[in-house]
Amino acid sequence: MLLPKFDFHRPTSIAETCEMLTEYGESASMVAGGTDVLVDLRRKRIAPARLIGIDRVNEMDGIRAGRGEVVVGSLVTAAGIADNRMLRRRFSVLTQAAEELGSPPIRNRATIGGNLVTARPAGDLLPPLMVLDARVRLVSQGGEREIPVDRFITGPGKTKIRTNEVLTQVVMPRPDPASGGAYIKFGARSSCEISIVSVAVFVSFTPAGRRIKSAKIVLGAVAPKPIGCPRAEELLVGAAPGEKAFAAAGSAAARAARPISDHRGSARYRRQMVEVLTRRALGSACRSAREGLSGRTK
Amino acid sequence: MKTLKICLDVNGERHELLVAPNRSLTQVLREDLGLTGAKHGCDEGECGACTVLFDGEPVNSCLVLAAQAEGHEITTIEGIADGSALHPLQQAFVDHGAVQCGFCTPGMVLSAKALLDRKKRPSEHEIRTALSGNLCRCTGYQKIVDAVRAGGRNSAGSGR
Repeated sequence: MLLPKFDFHRPTSIAETCEMLTEYGESASMVAGGTDVLVDLRRKRIAPARLIGIDRVNEMDGIRAGRGEVVVGSLVTAAGIADNRMLRRRFSVLTQAAEELGSPPIRNRATIGGNLVTARPAGDLLPPLMVLDARVRLVSQGGEREIPVDRFITGPGKTKIRTNEVLTQVVMPRPDPASGGAYIKFGARSSCEISIVSVAVFVSFTPAGRRIKSAKIVLGAVAPKPIGCPRAEELLVGAAPGEKAFAAAGSAAARAARPISDHRGSARYRRQMVEVLTRRALGSACRSAREGLSGRTK
Repeated sequence: MKTLKICLDVNGERHELLVAPNRSLTQVLREDLGLTGAKHGCDEGECGACTVLFDGEPVNSCLVLAAQAEGHEITTIEGIADGSALHPLQQAFVDHGAVQCGFCTPGMVLSAKALLDRKKRPSEHEIRTALSGNLCRCTGYQKIVDAVRAGGRNSAGSGR
């Protein structure tokens, strides 16, 4: 199938990108890995007069560990995230999602920045970024700003990014050593799939490891955007990690979900799966956190 | 629509091309370079028939603009044989009956090659995961998996 016509621009710096965004405004769309944009172009969902290919802006690539935080360039691919040793050890909820996204050839091109700006309700990297309290960095000729991911995404396909802004980096605070996360993607098949339900959880333990100090749970594919479960999280704080606490959290998470019925699954089925998968993810996250506590390398 | 002058590195050869910006890598490989091993399947990154190696890693060439391939090393199925001697992995596909209509085969071989280049003796699960972006409607996949396992064993020590 043919792509529609457009002019193609290839900036090599963030500054050049911002100049183009300011000059071209609404007539331009950006493209990085192309795994969403080229599909949208062929299906006529978008029809920009110009494409700005940002895949050569090296400043937006790379993973850097800073003091107290890790910065992931927006051009880092899902494969780049999944394969990174440091991320696998300390941010496994994100790497688990990156491993499940799309398929191997998609993972080699799809970028974290792209997953964020397309903001699909079932976007795989979004729930993990939210449980990790990640922020996006947005740059324009007017300056820079940072927005937490859970506020950045406002609806299906909608974010707070402005026409003259480019998403350059994702910033994640370093987690507690006594913490762990897990991501479960549930679909009818194990690849090339849009989730029926997805769950990301992140828990941290008290120093002795006997109680849950804090918990975050974010559900994907069961609302117009990934949603948190504050009630389920409250039930976990101060609780001893175990089946009883996980079951209570699972039920509360199922009540927080706002799924629709569609060809992938009924709303009722999705709620049931939220309950089951939240329980399982919490078990997995707690095991991961225990390994962190005991100082075992993962 | 302004034509672009690009230089593509395909199978170790450099090609200077004038392309319209809206041409995908699949189109340019097939139509401008005559390398028809990569196929138009779904043209939306779901079937893998268009798979090529991009700096050694499998990608759906239907989702890469030809212009974006500049500065990277592209390997197509035509680039892995050694003259008329098949790559051990290609030979394994032949020996194991892993080719029926052949439409998925270039993509399957390249995805498998990328795996074996990283790990000579992958598990069955690792093989199936590596091939999970390549659909086959003919074989039922088992013979392809067997061929990949054998391909890994045959390649060991041959440095290819």
